[in-house]
Amino acid sequence: MPDISQTAAVTLNHYLALSAIVFTIGMLCVLLRRNLIVMLMGIELMLNAVNLTFVAFAHYSSDISGQIMVFFVMTVAAAEAGVGLALAVSIFKRFKEVNIKFLEHLKG
Amino acid sequence: MGSDVFEITVNLVKMLFIFLLMVQLVPVLVWVERRGSAFIQSRFGPNRVGPLGLTQLLADAVKFLMKEEFVPAQGKKLLFYLAPAIALVPGAVAFGSIPLSCPVHIQRFLMLQHWWGPYDFEFQSFHFGVGIVFVLGISSLGAYALLLAGWGSANKFSLMGALRASAQMISYELALGLSLVGAILIYGTFDFTEMIAQQAQVFNFELLGHAFHLRKYGILMQPIGAILYFSSIFAETNRLPFDLPEAEGELVVGYHTEYGGLKMLMFYIGEYGHMMVGSALFVTFYLGGYTIPLLTTTQINNLFLSMGAGPNVISILTALVFHVAFFAKVLFLLWVFVWVRWTLPRFRYDQLMDLGWKTMLPWSLANVIVTAVVVAYVRSK
Amino acid sequence: MDISTIIFIILATIIVVSSVSVLMTPNPIYAAFSLAITMVTMGFLYFSLDADFIAGVQLIVYAGAVMVLFVMVLMLFDLEKETEAYSKGTFSVFLKLMCGLFLTGAVALSVRQSIKGLSDVAKVATPAEQVETIKLLAGRLFTQYVFAFEALGVLLLVIAIGVVAVARSRGGTHARH
Repeated sequence: MPDISQTAAVTLNHYLALSAIVFTIGMLCVLLRRNLIVMLMGIELMLNAVNLTFVAFAHYSSDISGQIMVFFVMTVAAAEAGVGLALAVSIFKRFKEVNIKFLEHLKG
Repeated sequence: MGSDVFEITVNLVKMLFIFLLMVQLVPVLVWVERRGSAFIQSRFGPNRVGPLGLTQLLADAVKFLMKEEFVPAQGKKLLFYLAPAIALVPGAVAFGSIPLSCPVHIQRFLMLQHWWGPYDFEFQSFHFGVGIVFVLGISSLGAYALLLAGWGSANKFSLMGALRASAQMISYELALGLSLVGAILIYGTFDFTEMIAQQAQVFNFELLGHAFHLRKYGILMQPIGAILYFSSIFAETNRLPFDLPEAEGELVVGYHTEYGGLKMLMFYIGEYGHMMVGSALFVTFYLGGYTIPLLTTTQINNLFLSMGAGPNVISILTALVFHVAFFAKVLFLLWVFVWVRWTLPRFRYDQLMDLGWKTMLPWSLANVIVTAVVVAYVRSK
Repeated sequence: MDISTIIFIILATIIVVSSVSVLMTPNPIYAAFSLAITMVTMGFLYFSLDADFIAGVQLIVYAGAVMVLFVMVLMLFDLEKETEAYSKGTFSVFLKLMCGLFLTGAVALSVRQSIKGLSDVAKVATPAEQVETIKLLAGRLFTQYVFAFEALGVLLLVIAIGVVAVARSRGGTHARH
């Protein structure tokens, strides 16, 4: 009887493929949605996808540096989310909406 | 999970047992809360149903189950039903990863014409190397239940309550996490079992001509951290004096205004579960976990050995003794929750935020820095 | 099929479905909750990759703090219904979708090309090893990467002040009063 567990094991490719899918969805989210906050969510999705590749590489190449990169990316992502939300709040205060059609008001 | 049928079965039963332990403690706690508050306010409390009113909760449970299922007309049905279920999860999962007693060692034994063992069963549902990080991460998900409930009920009071509650939880999570960092620095590990093992050590000193032998309990080495942690779990569990999310004078009852019956009960279980996790963490970090002061494992083992018990039975009985000790500590802390509830008045919301950000956060940061310097000095010697 | 494959398939399905629903749900609140599910599931995927500490941090930082902030901000705005949730114009949407598909293809191809140099042997770590991993992580973080770590601290301080300044401002040059 052949050993199925060897042939069907999860490899690095699986994680990278998943990460590519999530990254693409995040990018489409930024491209297609018009709500500022949902666009920010798309950016978070992309960052998460990159984090997944880092962790997967760290696991499969037995090198801890990947996890340190994830640590940094998470900190920067949290900071970025904070700034983005603060901007969204001030935009909402001014235009009473967070749809990117507020850009029409910036024509001077 | 385990390598053979016996081990997997025991582990599954253990998970179920720990979950039921948490859920079944809730009626007892509600009873303690009601009788305790009555005792503090010198009235009787529920005392008609059963001895001391103990079966009141059974009657209440029946009442909760029989109530009408109800969703507000404008409410989001999915979110409204999802919120109470989510409220249960963080408490149950976090409680499962805290060791409730010492591990049980089972030697080889014969059962059904087959040799089994030897086994090591830990007295917890699952063991993560990063125990405390996992528990903090899981309990921070509790905010979603409140937000879902507040949004799903389509009610201004619920929404305001949910926003207040989640803002409060995020704010106090900082102070809570940082107050634990001091203790983590001293123990040098995230793992609960190792922390407890370190607190079981004894340090001897002489004061005024008397020799003292004290366990290295966290509360002796991190008194400020312990106080800060204990205060911030009051805020994390939304209990008096920090129960702003349910301030009944202003917000009806906050995020669960629209909930009734079984769904309300599930929020209660979630809140008490959160309290239990908070108390169990306090016991693990600062009160030596399941260890008993002045009594070592070998002494207990010898006691049972003198009664003529076998090695497996001794191991199980020792674990049970430590389990009882752990729960005695946890129950005492839970009584303190009730005690504080009926002693202190409620804070105002700006006072709450000031206390969290301007008092507890700086103090816990200072605690971390001082601890780090002292630990570095002691280790360099 | 061993247990880890099944776990991976389940988690990956949840991640893909919830992130697609971030893209597809018109209501931003539901999108935020879907993203929260994605984050939590991603955390559990990190657990399965033996990155326990990173998984815990993911739960605390992303799921516990960042996403709660998103949801809170959306609730404060109380957007009754999103009038224009998606970008307009059939051609531009088609172009953007094509961009997305092209990117997926390019990534898949480059992964396929570059993967051959790496060995695919899964390393199994025990809890004892995991503790060592955390110590190793801390060691690297505070020696080799200490400058980046300190720089991040400064960055966070600047961000904290900046966020308060931006959120408190009354519209800058567009102020009405």
